[in-house]
Amino acid sequence: MKKLVIIPAYNEAGNIVKTVTDVVENAPSFDYVIINDCSKDNTLEICREHGFRVVDLPCNMGIGGGVQTGYLYAKRHGYDIAVQFDGDGQHNASYLEQMAEKLEREHLDMLIGSRYIDKKGFQSSGARRAGIKYFTGLIKLVTGKKITDPTSGMRMVNRDIICQFAEDYPKDYPEPESVVTILKQKKHVEEIAVEMNAREEGTSSISMYNAVYYMIKVSLAILIAAIRK
Amino acid sequence: MSLRIQLVIGIITVICILAICNTVRKKKLDLRYGLIWIIVGVCVILLDAFPGVLGWLTGLLGIELPINMLFFMGFCFSLIIIFSLTKTVSDLAHKVKRLTQELALLKRDMENGEE
Repeated sequence: MKKLVIIPAYNEAGNIVKTVTDVVENAPSFDYVIINDCSKDNTLEICREHGFRVVDLPCNMGIGGGVQTGYLYAKRHGYDIAVQFDGDGQHNASYLEQMAEKLEREHLDMLIGSRYIDKKGFQSSGARRAGIKYFTGLIKLVTGKKITDPTSGMRMVNRDIICQFAEDYPKDYPEPESVVTILKQKKHVEEIAVEMNAREEGTSSISMYNAVYYMIKVSLAILIAAIRK
Repeated sequence: MSLRIQLVIGIITVICILAICNTVRKKKLDLRYGLIWIIVGVCVILLDAFPGVLGWLTGLLGIELPINMLFFMGFCFSLIIIFSLTKTVSDLAHKVKRLTQELALLKRDMENGEE
Protein backbone atom coordinates (compact mmCIF):
# COMPACT_ATOMS: atom_id res chain seq x y z
CA MET A 1 0.00 0.00 0.00
CA LYS A 2 1.59 3.26 -1.09
CA LYS A 3 0.17 6.21 0.78
CA LEU A 4 0.71 9.89 0.05
CA VAL A 5 0.07 13.04 2.04
CA ILE A 6 -0.59 16.03 -0.23
CA ILE A 7 0.33 19.26 1.52
CA PRO A 8 -0.80 22.34 -0.41
CA ALA A 9 1.18 25.38 0.75
CA TYR A 10 0.72 29.03 -0.12
CA ASN A 11 2.74 31.47 1.99
CA GLU A 12 3.18 28.98 4.80
CA ALA A 13 6.79 29.77 5.73
CA GLY A 14 5.79 29.95 9.40
CA ASN A 15 3.99 26.61 9.48
CA ILE A 16 5.50 24.30 6.89
CA VAL A 17 8.35 22.84 8.96
CA LYS A 18 5.99 22.02 11.82
CA THR A 19 3.46 20.47 9.45
CA VAL A 20 6.00 18.25 7.71
CA THR A 21 7.59 17.21 11.01
CA ASP A 22 4.14 16.30 12.27
CA VAL A 23 3.49 14.12 9.20
CA VAL A 24 6.89 12.43 9.26
CA GLU A 25 6.69 11.66 12.97
CA ASN A 26 3.04 10.76 13.37
CA ALA A 27 2.27 9.14 10.03
CA PRO A 28 5.41 7.13 9.28
CA SER A 29 3.79 4.82 6.71
CA PHE A 30 2.94 7.81 4.49
CA ASP A 31 5.06 9.59 1.92
CA TYR A 32 4.38 13.28 1.59
CA VAL A 33 4.65 15.91 -1.12
CA ILE A 34 4.39 19.66 -0.64
CA ILE A 35 2.71 21.58 -3.43
CA ASN A 36 4.15 25.08 -3.27
CA ASP A 37 1.54 27.21 -5.03
CA CYS A 38 3.97 29.94 -6.05
CA SER A 39 4.26 31.34 -2.52
CA LYS A 40 5.38 34.96 -2.26
CA ASP A 41 7.26 34.34 0.99
CA ASN A 42 10.20 31.98 1.38
CA THR A 43 8.19 28.75 1.77
CA LEU A 44 10.09 27.22 -1.13
CA GLU A 45 13.52 28.13 0.25
CA ILE A 46 12.62 26.67 3.65
CA CYS A 47 11.47 23.43 1.99
CA ARG A 48 14.68 23.20 -0.05
CA GLU A 49 16.84 23.94 3.01
CA HIS A 50 15.24 21.11 4.94
CA GLY A 51 15.34 18.79 1.94
CA PHE A 52 11.54 18.40 1.86
CA ARG A 53 9.97 16.83 -1.21
CA VAL A 54 8.32 19.76 -2.92
CA VAL A 55 6.55 20.30 -6.23
CA ASP A 56 6.96 23.95 -7.13
CA LEU A 57 4.19 25.45 -9.28
CA PRO A 58 5.54 28.22 -11.53
CA CYS A 59 2.24 30.16 -11.41
CA ASN A 60 -0.30 30.53 -8.64
CA MET A 61 -3.09 28.00 -9.32
CA GLY A 62 -5.29 28.48 -6.27
CA ILE A 63 -6.14 25.67 -3.88
CA GLY A 64 -7.99 23.54 -6.47
CA GLY A 65 -5.24 23.53 -9.07
CA GLY A 66 -2.60 23.04 -6.38
CA VAL A 67 -4.24 20.04 -4.76
CA GLN A 68 -4.98 18.58 -8.18
CA THR A 69 -1.24 18.69 -8.89
CA GLY A 70 -0.86 16.50 -5.81
CA TYR A 71 -3.42 14.02 -7.14
CA LEU A 72 -1.65 14.02 -10.49
CA TYR A 73 1.60 13.26 -8.66
CA ALA A 74 -0.12 10.44 -6.73
CA LYS A 75 -1.53 9.01 -9.94
CA ARG A 76 1.80 9.10 -11.78
CA HIS A 77 3.70 7.55 -8.91
CA GLY A 78 1.22 4.75 -8.35
CA TYR A 79 -0.13 5.67 -4.93
CA ASP A 80 -3.11 3.67 -3.63
CA ILE A 81 -4.22 6.23 -1.07
CA ALA A 82 -3.84 10.00 -1.02
CA VAL A 83 -4.85 12.43 1.68
CA GLN A 84 -5.03 16.21 1.63
CA PHE A 85 -3.42 17.83 4.59
CA ASP A 86 -3.33 21.59 5.05
CA GLY A 87 0.10 23.19 5.23
CA ASP A 88 -1.02 25.71 7.84
CA GLY A 89 -0.88 23.49 10.93
CA GLN A 90 -4.66 23.12 11.28
CA HIS A 91 -4.63 19.37 10.80
CA ASN A 92 -3.15 16.72 13.08
CA ALA A 93 -1.16 13.97 11.39
CA SER A 94 -1.84 11.57 14.27
CA TYR A 95 -5.22 10.78 12.67
CA LEU A 96 -3.79 9.73 9.32
CA GLU A 97 -2.91 6.13 10.21
CA GLN A 98 -6.34 5.38 11.64
CA MET A 99 -7.98 7.10 8.68
CA ALA A 100 -6.05 4.89 6.24
CA GLU A 101 -6.98 1.82 8.25
CA LYS A 102 -10.68 2.74 8.21
CA LEU A 103 -10.57 3.54 4.49
CA GLU A 104 -9.10 0.12 3.73
CA ARG A 105 -11.17 -1.87 6.18
CA GLU A 106 -14.48 -0.42 5.05
CA HIS A 107 -13.51 -0.18 1.38
CA LEU A 108 -14.38 3.50 1.27
CA ASP A 109 -13.80 5.76 -1.70
CA MET A 110 -13.44 8.89 0.40
CA LEU A 111 -12.99 9.52 4.09
CA ILE A 112 -13.41 13.05 5.43
CA GLY A 113 -11.92 14.23 8.71
CA SER A 114 -14.77 16.07 10.43
CA ARG A 115 -14.57 18.59 13.26
CA TYR A 116 -18.27 18.32 13.96
CA ILE A 117 -18.73 14.70 15.02
CA ASP A 118 -17.10 14.92 18.43
CA LYS A 119 -17.21 18.72 18.40
CA LYS A 120 -13.78 18.93 19.94
CA GLY A 121 -10.86 21.22 19.13
CA PHE A 122 -11.08 24.27 16.89
CA GLN A 123 -14.68 24.72 15.74
CA SER A 124 -14.32 27.84 13.55
CA SER A 125 -16.27 31.06 14.03
CA GLY A 126 -20.04 31.20 14.35
CA ALA A 127 -20.60 32.65 10.89
CA ARG A 128 -18.50 29.97 9.25
CA ARG A 129 -20.19 27.23 11.22
CA ALA A 130 -23.54 28.54 10.00
CA GLY A 131 -22.21 28.47 6.43
CA ILE A 132 -20.98 24.91 6.85
CA LYS A 133 -24.33 23.85 8.32
CA TYR A 134 -26.02 25.31 5.28
CA PHE A 135 -23.78 23.29 2.94
CA THR A 136 -24.42 20.16 4.99
CA GLY A 137 -28.14 20.75 4.45
CA LEU A 138 -27.77 21.48 0.75
CA ILE A 139 -25.66 18.35 0.18
CA LYS A 140 -28.16 16.27 2.14
CA LEU A 141 -30.88 17.68 -0.08
CA VAL A 142 -29.21 16.81 -3.39
CA THR A 143 -27.50 13.54 -2.44
CA GLY A 144 -29.37 12.27 0.61
CA LYS A 145 -26.10 11.88 2.50
CA LYS A 146 -25.24 13.85 5.64
CA ILE A 147 -21.72 15.24 5.53
CA THR A 148 -21.14 17.13 8.77
CA ASP A 149 -17.96 18.89 7.59
CA PRO A 150 -18.17 19.34 3.81
CA THR A 151 -15.53 22.10 3.76
CA SER A 152 -12.94 20.01 5.60
CA GLY A 153 -9.60 20.05 3.81
CA MET A 154 -8.61 16.77 5.42
CA ARG A 155 -9.83 14.12 3.02
CA MET A 156 -8.46 10.73 2.16
CA VAL A 157 -9.30 8.98 -1.11
CA ASN A 158 -8.54 5.68 -2.79
CA ARG A 159 -6.79 5.06 -6.13
CA ASP A 160 -10.02 5.29 -8.08
CA ILE A 161 -10.76 8.81 -6.85
CA ILE A 162 -7.09 9.84 -7.14
CA CYS A 163 -7.27 9.16 -10.88
CA GLN A 164 -10.59 10.96 -11.16
CA PHE A 165 -9.40 14.06 -9.26
CA ALA A 166 -6.18 14.11 -11.32
CA GLU A 167 -8.32 14.61 -14.43
CA ASP A 168 -11.07 16.80 -13.05
CA TYR A 169 -11.06 18.89 -9.90
CA PRO A 170 -12.82 22.21 -9.22
CA LYS A 171 -10.63 25.28 -9.45
CA ASP A 172 -11.53 27.23 -6.33
CA TYR A 173 -13.29 26.22 -3.12
CA PRO A 174 -13.30 22.63 -4.35
CA GLU A 175 -14.23 20.66 -1.23
CA PRO A 176 -18.05 20.66 -1.07
CA GLU A 177 -18.44 20.46 -4.85
CA SER A 178 -16.13 17.48 -5.25
CA VAL A 179 -17.86 15.60 -2.43
CA VAL A 180 -21.17 16.00 -4.27
CA THR A 181 -19.58 14.84 -7.54
CA ILE A 182 -18.29 11.72 -5.80
CA LEU A 183 -21.55 11.04 -3.97
CA LYS A 184 -23.53 11.37 -7.20
CA GLN A 185 -21.50 8.50 -8.63
CA LYS A 186 -22.76 6.34 -5.77
CA LYS A 187 -19.29 6.21 -4.27
CA HIS A 188 -18.85 5.37 -0.64
CA VAL A 189 -18.05 8.48 1.43
CA GLU A 190 -17.74 8.44 5.19
CA GLU A 191 -16.53 10.81 7.92
CA ILE A 192 -14.29 10.30 10.88
CA ALA A 193 -14.05 12.48 13.98
CA VAL A 194 -10.88 14.58 14.13
CA GLU A 195 -9.70 17.54 16.11
CA MET A 196 -8.32 20.54 14.28
CA ASN A 197 -6.26 23.46 15.53
CA ALA A 198 -6.83 27.16 15.00
CA ARG A 199 -4.35 28.41 12.43
CA GLU A 200 -1.35 30.00 14.07
CA GLU A 201 0.16 31.94 11.20
CA GLY A 202 -0.96 33.02 7.77
CA THR A 203 -4.54 33.75 6.78
CA SER A 204 -7.41 31.53 5.74
CA SER A 205 -8.16 31.32 2.03
CA ILE A 206 -11.67 32.59 2.78
CA SER A 207 -11.83 36.22 3.89
CA MET A 208 -15.02 38.12 4.69
CA TYR A 209 -14.68 39.88 1.36
CA ASN A 210 -14.91 36.55 -0.44
CA ALA A 211 -17.64 35.09 1.73
CA VAL A 212 -20.53 36.16 -0.49
CA TYR A 213 -18.82 34.90 -3.63
CA TYR A 214 -17.99 31.70 -1.79
CA MET A 215 -21.58 31.02 -0.74
CA ILE A 216 -23.03 31.73 -4.18
CA LYS A 217 -20.34 29.94 -6.14
CA VAL A 218 -20.28 26.80 -4.02
CA SER A 219 -24.09 26.61 -3.87
CA LEU A 220 -24.30 26.82 -7.64
CA ALA A 221 -21.44 24.36 -8.06
CA ILE A 222 -23.21 21.86 -5.80
CA LEU A 223 -26.44 22.19 -7.74
CA ILE A 224 -24.66 21.84 -11.08
CA ALA A 225 -22.65 18.87 -9.82
CA ALA A 226 -25.93 17.32 -8.69
CA ILE A 227 -27.50 17.46 -12.17
CA ARG A 228 -24.30 16.60 -14.04
CA LYS A 229 -24.16 13.14 -15.54
CA MET B 1 -31.97 56.43 -45.30
CA SER B 2 -30.19 58.83 -47.65
CA LEU B 3 -27.81 57.61 -50.31
CA ARG B 4 -25.04 59.63 -48.67
CA ILE B 5 -25.20 57.81 -45.30
CA GLN B 6 -25.50 54.49 -47.14
CA LEU B 7 -22.28 55.26 -48.97
CA VAL B 8 -20.48 56.42 -45.82
CA ILE B 9 -21.49 53.32 -43.84
CA GLY B 10 -20.59 51.08 -46.78
CA ILE B 11 -17.13 52.58 -47.18
CA ILE B 12 -16.36 52.48 -43.46
CA THR B 13 -17.48 48.83 -43.26
CA VAL B 14 -15.40 47.81 -46.28
CA ILE B 15 -12.35 49.50 -44.74
CA CYS B 16 -13.00 47.66 -41.47
CA ILE B 17 -13.31 44.29 -43.20
CA LEU B 18 -10.09 44.93 -45.13
CA ALA B 19 -8.35 45.90 -41.89
CA ILE B 20 -9.56 42.67 -40.24
CA CYS B 21 -8.40 40.61 -43.23
CA ASN B 22 -5.03 42.35 -43.07
CA THR B 23 -4.69 41.50 -39.36
CA VAL B 24 -5.42 37.88 -40.18
CA ARG B 25 -2.94 38.02 -43.07
CA LYS B 26 -0.22 39.28 -40.71
CA LYS B 27 -1.14 36.41 -38.37
CA LYS B 28 -1.95 38.77 -35.53
CA LEU B 29 -5.46 37.35 -35.41
CA ASP B 30 -6.49 33.73 -35.93
CA LEU B 31 -8.96 33.34 -38.77
CA ARG B 32 -11.00 31.30 -36.29
CA TYR B 33 -11.63 34.44 -34.23
CA GLY B 34 -11.52 36.88 -37.14
CA LEU B 35 -14.29 35.03 -38.93
CA ILE B 36 -17.10 36.25 -36.69
CA TRP B 37 -16.01 39.87 -37.23
CA ILE B 38 -15.90 39.41 -40.99
CA ILE B 39 -19.38 37.88 -40.88
CA VAL B 40 -20.66 40.86 -38.88
CA GLY B 41 -19.09 43.18 -41.46
CA VAL B 42 -20.76 41.37 -44.36
CA CYS B 43 -24.11 41.53 -42.57
CA VAL B 44 -23.72 45.30 -42.11
CA ILE B 45 -22.92 45.73 -45.80
CA LEU B 46 -25.96 43.67 -46.80
CA LEU B 47 -28.26 45.68 -44.51
CA ASP B 48 -26.69 48.88 -45.84
CA ALA B 49 -27.16 47.89 -49.47
CA PHE B 50 -30.74 46.66 -48.96
CA PRO B 51 -32.32 48.88 -46.27
CA GLY B 52 -35.67 47.27 -47.07
CA VAL B 53 -34.54 44.10 -45.31
CA LEU B 54 -34.07 46.01 -42.06
CA GLY B 55 -37.48 47.61 -42.42
CA TRP B 56 -39.05 44.21 -43.05
CA LEU B 57 -37.32 42.68 -40.01
CA THR B 58 -38.40 45.64 -37.87
CA GLY B 59 -41.99 45.13 -38.83
CA LEU B 60 -41.70 41.39 -38.31
CA LEU B 61 -40.56 41.77 -34.69
CA GLY B 62 -43.02 44.56 -33.99
CA ILE B 63 -40.35 47.16 -33.33
CA GLU B 64 -41.33 50.75 -34.14
CA LEU B 65 -38.18 52.26 -35.62
CA PRO B 66 -35.64 50.51 -37.85
CA ILE B 67 -32.84 52.22 -35.90
CA ASN B 68 -33.96 50.36 -32.74
CA MET B 69 -33.84 47.11 -34.67
CA LEU B 70 -30.29 47.98 -35.61
CA PHE B 71 -29.32 48.67 -31.97
CA PHE B 72 -30.99 45.44 -30.90
CA MET B 73 -29.07 43.43 -33.50
CA GLY B 74 -25.79 45.08 -32.55
CA PHE B 75 -26.44 44.26 -28.90
CA CYS B 76 -27.15 40.61 -29.71
CA PHE B 77 -24.03 40.33 -31.87
CA SER B 78 -21.92 41.80 -29.05
CA LEU B 79 -23.34 39.36 -26.52
CA ILE B 80 -22.59 36.40 -28.77
CA ILE B 81 -19.02 37.57 -29.28
CA ILE B 82 -18.47 38.24 -25.56
CA PHE B 83 -19.87 34.84 -24.65
CA SER B 84 -17.63 33.07 -27.14
CA LEU B 85 -14.70 35.01 -25.66
CA THR B 86 -15.47 33.93 -22.10
CA LYS B 87 -15.70 30.36 -23.37
CA THR B 88 -12.31 30.75 -25.01
CA VAL B 89 -10.83 32.21 -21.82
CA SER B 90 -12.14 29.25 -19.79
CA ASP B 91 -10.65 26.85 -22.27
CA LEU B 92 -7.30 28.66 -22.17
CA ALA B 93 -7.31 28.80 -18.35
CA HIS B 94 -7.89 25.06 -18.28
CA LYS B 95 -4.99 24.44 -20.63
CA VAL B 96 -2.67 26.80 -18.74
CA LYS B 97 -3.55 25.00 -15.50
CA ARG B 98 -2.67 21.61 -16.96
CA LEU B 99 0.56 22.94 -18.48
CA THR B 100 1.60 24.53 -15.18
CA GLN B 101 0.96 21.29 -13.33
CA GLU B 102 2.87 19.24 -15.87
CA LEU B 103 5.77 21.69 -15.72
CA ALA B 104 5.90 21.55 -11.92
CA LEU B 105 5.86 17.74 -11.91
CA LEU B 106 8.53 17.65 -14.62
CA LYS B 107 10.74 19.97 -12.54
CA ARG B 108 10.21 17.66 -9.60
CA ASP B 109 11.23 14.60 -11.67
CA MET B 110 14.37 16.39 -12.84
CA GLU B 111 15.33 17.27 -9.25
CA ASN B 112 14.75 13.64 -8.36
CA GLY B 113 17.21 12.61 -11.08
CA GLU B 114 19.86 14.94 -9.69
CA GLU B 115 19.55 13.71 -6.11
